[in-house]
Amino acid sequence: MSTAAPSSSIARDLRLLGVAFAYELRKVTAWRAGFVVRELMRSLWRPLVMIFVYRAILVTPEARFGGFDFPALVAYLILAASFEKLLFHQRGLDLADQIFQGYVTKYLTMPVRFFVLALGRFAQHLAVQSSVVAFLWVVGSLLFPQWWPRVASASAALQAFVLVLLGSYCAFLMCFLVNVLAFWLEVVWTLSAMASFVFSFAAGVLVPVSAMPQSLAGALRWMFPYWAVSAPGELFLGRLGTQEFLRGVCVLLAWVVALELLRQLLWRRGLRRHIGAGV
Amino acid sequence: MDRAVSTGHNRAVSEVLIEMRGAGKRFRTWKRREGFGGFFVNLFAREWTEVAALEGIELEIRRGEFLGLIGANGAGKTTLLKCVSGITPVSSGSARMFGCDSFALRDEHKRRLSMVMGQRSQLWWDLPAIDSFRLLREIYSVPRSDFELRLRESAERLQVTDMLQRQLRNLSLGERMKMEIIGAFLHEPDVVFLDEPTIGLDLVSRETIRRYLVEINRARGVTIVLTSHDMEDIEETCRRLVILRQGRVLFDGGLVDLKARTYERRAIEVHLEPSSPGWDAAFEPLLEPFGARLERAAPLTLLFSVPAPAVQRFVPFLFERFAIRDLSIEHHPLDMIIRQIFQQREGGA
Ligand SMILES: Nc1ncnc2c1ncn2[C@@H]1O[C@H](COP(=O)(O)OP(=O)(O)OP(=O)(O)O)[C@@H](O)[C@H]1O
Ligand SMILES: [Mg+2]
Repeated sequence: MSTAAPSSSIARDLRLLGVAFAYELRKVTAWRAGFVVRELMRSLWRPLVMIFVYRAILVTPEARFGGFDFPALVAYLILAASFEKLLFHQRGLDLADQIFQGYVTKYLTMPVRFFVLALGRFAQHLAVQSSVVAFLWVVGSLLFPQWWPRVASASAALQAFVLVLLGSYCAFLMCFLVNVLAFWLEVVWTLSAMASFVFSFAAGVLVPVSAMPQSLAGALRWMFPYWAVSAPGELFLGRLGTQEFLRGVCVLLAWVVALELLRQLLWRRGLRRHIGAGV
Repeated sequence: MDRAVSTGHNRAVSEVLIEMRGAGKRFRTWKRREGFGGFFVNLFAREWTEVAALEGIELEIRRGEFLGLIGANGAGKTTLLKCVSGITPVSSGSARMFGCDSFALRDEHKRRLSMVMGQRSQLWWDLPAIDSFRLLREIYSVPRSDFELRLRESAERLQVTDMLQRQLRNLSLGERMKMEIIGAFLHEPDVVFLDEPTIGLDLVSRETIRRYLVEINRARGVTIVLTSHDMEDIEETCRRLVILRQGRVLFDGGLVDLKARTYERRAIEVHLEPSSPGWDAAFEPLLEPFGARLERAAPLTLLFSVPAPAVQRFVPFLFERFAIRDLSIEHHPLDMIIRQIFQQREGGA
């Protein structure tokens, strides 16, 4: 009985993932006005602000900021904002709330791994955000052809995309982990706000990591946010090569393994502690 | 595994599905101090207190039983369900289900149980009920044809067929609860826990739900454990009653036996005119010759328990003492019997 279980349970998990994905997709598109505000508007303001900041810093055409001239910075900011959109973020997972309010208890009596349902959320996020980004890119490159980033080569684009996907999965695991802390802490929201701030900084969303001081940039190259946003951006523009890409894949895979192990540990511990609050 | 063995025309000795042995559950909480200073004290020196929600529970539930679990607020009913269903581990003793430790249930065990909590939706809040059911169908791997059939049948019986497409958040409390119940039975579980499923529902919905539960328990032999503060729920559905008080089992037995105990007594409820003299402790000795007891005294309502043969003499006595607007004589209602159990045990302890 238990020997046949693994393959069939993986098949079941996959099927369930498909169903959860469809369900998440329906949910996110149900509220149309909210969808436009959330997904389109919110991604625009930060790169716009940073473009004005850099305009103010780089007054002359020859002025450089960490090796970037102004048009290169604009291209980089657009890329970084696009990739950051593909990254899973804290708002996408209301797990901490579910833990606080005791809603996870229902999954404990069901023959399902909660993580599979959460993965459905991740898949939905990727699908929706990819479409949004694709849409923004079509519109943007038509409206601002002279500013829009130009890809160095097809393989550069592919490599960048692989890094972003892996990075997004790391971000998802990270979110899950922070949320799971709700089993112990009541300050998860503060923590996750902090985490997302640190994350965007380390990812180079505001300032390219290669434009940061050497020692800091060196340290950030061991972190997954850098490989999820900043590095793919530079790969895309042809500022990094295949060697760097391979290094990025290794770093990200190591992070996936580490985060996954930690996630399993914390989830198991947390459940044991869980009291299925109230009622 | 022992199979169900029939040993009589209506009594079957069936396999034990749920077993608690000396089960206890303690919750550890810390006392929050107030104010700004308290905030810092909280950070460094927490004052822990332990609450014993359950203590030394011995319980055996067999296949096909319909068990009512009652007790005051905070008696430990929900905690007991959580321990048995594996939501939370027991802190002492053991809780087992399907012969397996409750907190280590595997998927094939979980497939055989389901849980409905009156206050916590088991379905997905922002989906139409039908979508939730489809997700449940995947989770429990129910064949499509069985699923459609069961869904149609139970939706008809609970009269919610035309609401399946509506988002759960837009349904009324009663409609939502019916959906929860449909969801709980879709995968034909062997054991169903219902924690206050009728809370806040109107009379008709309650009736409908009770009838549905009784029928499904009879037809499929599903084991049902129900908690409720509504004695009518218990009376009309359960065959066995477990009363909890402060985390301990106060009573465990058949509902019929329980009622038989007071079969030779009657409950007399008296409604007084506003001008009537009220109840006075001085009347207490006057009850003794009748063998009567005062069960409850509200300003304008009195409830007595009287031996059946004494009723004929007791009623004129009441009319002599009070200005009576209305009076009824009945068998003891369940809530009165239960109150008596509480009083007896308290007196004995
Ligand atoms: N998570 C928790 N942390 C601390 N104490 C708890 C927790 N859950 C329950 N308790 C305590 O355990 C006791 C039993 O609670 P439980 O919820 O089982 O009662 P109940 O019988 O379901 O009551 P009700 O009729 O109000 O639903 C109560 O004293 C309660 O305060
Ligand atoms: Mg309760």
